[in-house]
Parts: sequence; structure tokens; C-alpha cells
Amino acid sequence: MDGPDDRSGATAAARSGDLAAFDQLMRRHERMVLVTALRLLGSLHDAQDASQEVFLKLYRNRAKVEASGNLPGWLYRVTVNACHDLRRRRPASVPMEEAGELPSRADDPAEQSAREERRRVLELSLRMLPEKERAALVLRDLEGLTTGEVARALGSSEATVRSQVSKARVKVREFVERYFRRHV
Amino acid sequence: MNCADWEERIALYAGSDLAPAKAAEVERHLAECAGCQMFAGWLKASLELLRDAHGEALDGAHFAAVRSRVVAQLARERRPLWRRAWVYGLAAVAAALLVAVAVRPSRWAAPRPPEVAMVRPPAAAVVPVAAARRLTRVRPKPRPKAGPGELVLVRLVTDNPDVVIYWISERRGE
Repeated sequence: MDGPDDRSGATAAARSGDLAAFDQLMRRHERMVLVTALRLLGSLHDAQDASQEVFLKLYRNRAKVEASGNLPGWLYRVTVNACHDLRRRRPASVPMEEAGELPSRADDPAEQSAREERRRVLELSLRMLPEKERAALVLRDLEGLTTGEVARALGSSEATVRSQVSKARVKVREFVERYFRRHV
Repeated sequence: MNCADWEERIALYAGSDLAPAKAAEVERHLAECAGCQMFAGWLKASLELLRDAHGEALDGAHFAAVRSRVVAQLARERRPLWRRAWVYGLAAVAAALLVAVAVRPSRWAAPRPPEVAMVRPPAAAVVPVAAARRLTRVRPKPRPKAGPGELVLVRLVTDNPDVVIYWISERRGE
């Protein structure tokens, strides 16, 4: 999960405490952290707050993280925890309209509209899931981690993760099916 | 085993999360069951839709905003103590408080020391002889032994003008 570049970057930042080196380290992992947080929280504003917490924690614990030798694994775990904490502090989050901030690649307005709706429904379906099932699904199906990596990030067993992932997939399918049966 | 029992395994199969032997079992069941085949197809399609919906790139400004917030926060934390504005503010408030306490007159005033005055005791009265003879019949009470020193009357004046304390005592060795 961790390449030599990551380790050397983390080491450079850890040894010097240099903000420029740390900025480079953030650039390397920011997509992973912010996008995961966005998928877990469904709000860009909250996801940015969670990402900020994650990187501040990384800076403060950089020596420990370096010793663990698994920076991405640590980042996923801390991101999931930061999102969990933020959700507890702000139970009523900003609604999904913010997802519209994602730029679309579709040029055709009709296609773009259909695409937007599909995305909105799928993101809504994610938000309907219980927190642990959502985290398991996001890490396994959207971030592409292995079951073992997801288990380590969530601090649970592989059997639990498999059960959570399968339940989440079935629920998402049911939600999407129900939605389009009602609205189409 | 009915189709509901296959649901969890089919969901794992749709995401390629089953070991080869178990995946082969699921495929055998799917070959015989049109309902489960449809269920597996929907699952795969919704997973693809989900990945596609989340495959869009976020605008770079959103990442830059996080980075700048983190760096600004770290820079604030790393700033030496003497360069933080709040230190100066705190020092000014503390100095102002000290000055205020020093200048302000205290409401508590120490009590005035009591006035002490020395007054000579009145001279002993002279008893007439006849009266003295009458008095001899009555056994006089033993008089207390006179002390070696003379008596001193101390007048203590308090804050209350209606209260004056007299204290009679014997002067010794003066």
C-alpha cells in the first residue's frame, strides 16, 4: 500500500518538520483523503474539515506513522475515524446538492442530466447505509482496497467486512431499484 | 437452500470477493436460477454505476484549500511565543490590572490605636475617730494586700464615642 516515495516523503517531513516537505506529502495523498471523506460524508465542506483534521494528525504523529511503515493504511483509518467524529458533532449535514460541485465530463445536456440524477441517487443510497457498511463499501468498492486492507482500516475482521460489504451492495441495489421504480 | 440464502454470496460474487471454489458454486446456482441471475446482473450494474458516479475528478481548488488551511494552522502553532499577538495582549491586561490594584484606595482601614491616659487614683478618705470606734466592733474584712507598685488607671477610647473602657492595673517595676 505504501511506495518508497511515500516513505521517503514522510521521512523528510518527519525529520525536518519542514512545512514545504509536508506540503509535498499532502499533495501525494490529498486525493485519497478528501475523496474518501467526501464519499463517507456526502458534503464537500465537511469532507474538507475532516481532511484538515487528518493532515494535522499526520503532522503531529509523523514519527509514529513513519515507524508504522504504512502511511496510506494509517490515512484511511484516520480518515474514517475523523469522518465518524465529524458526523457525531454535526449530525445534520449539508445536503447532497453540494455534489453538484463535481464537474461533469458529459457534453450532451440530456446525458449530463441523466448522469447527474444517477449519481445523486447512488450517493443518496450511500447515505442511507449504516455508517460501518458505508465505510466498508466505500473502501472496498470505490477505493479498491482488498478485504484485508479494509479490515485493518476499520479495525475489524475480514469476515465482518465481507458481511458488511455484501449487505451494503444489496441495500444500494434495492435503494436504486426502488427509486427508479417510483420516479421513472 | 432457497434463493434468499444465496443473496450474500451473490453480492460478494458480484464484487469478485469470493474464493474460486465458492465462486464456482455460485455460478452453478446462477446457471439454474433465472431470478438470482437477474439479481446478480443488477448488483453488478449498480456497482458499476456507483464507481462511475464517483469516478469524477474533484476540482484542484478544493485540495488547495485544505492544504492551505493545514499549513496555516501548523504555521500558527509553530510561531514562537514572543511573536504571538495574544501574548502582548495578555501582558497588557495583566499590567493594567496591577496598576489598578496599586492605585485604588483600599476600603479597609486599620483601626486607630487606643488612646492611653494615666490617671492618678483618688486619695484615700479620712475616717473620723468616732466612726472609727464604731467600726472596731465589726470585725473588719481582711484587706487585700497592697501591691508593691502604685495603681494605674488606663482609659481606652474606642471608635464608638459612647464606649470608653477603664482598666485599673498595678504598675510594677517602673
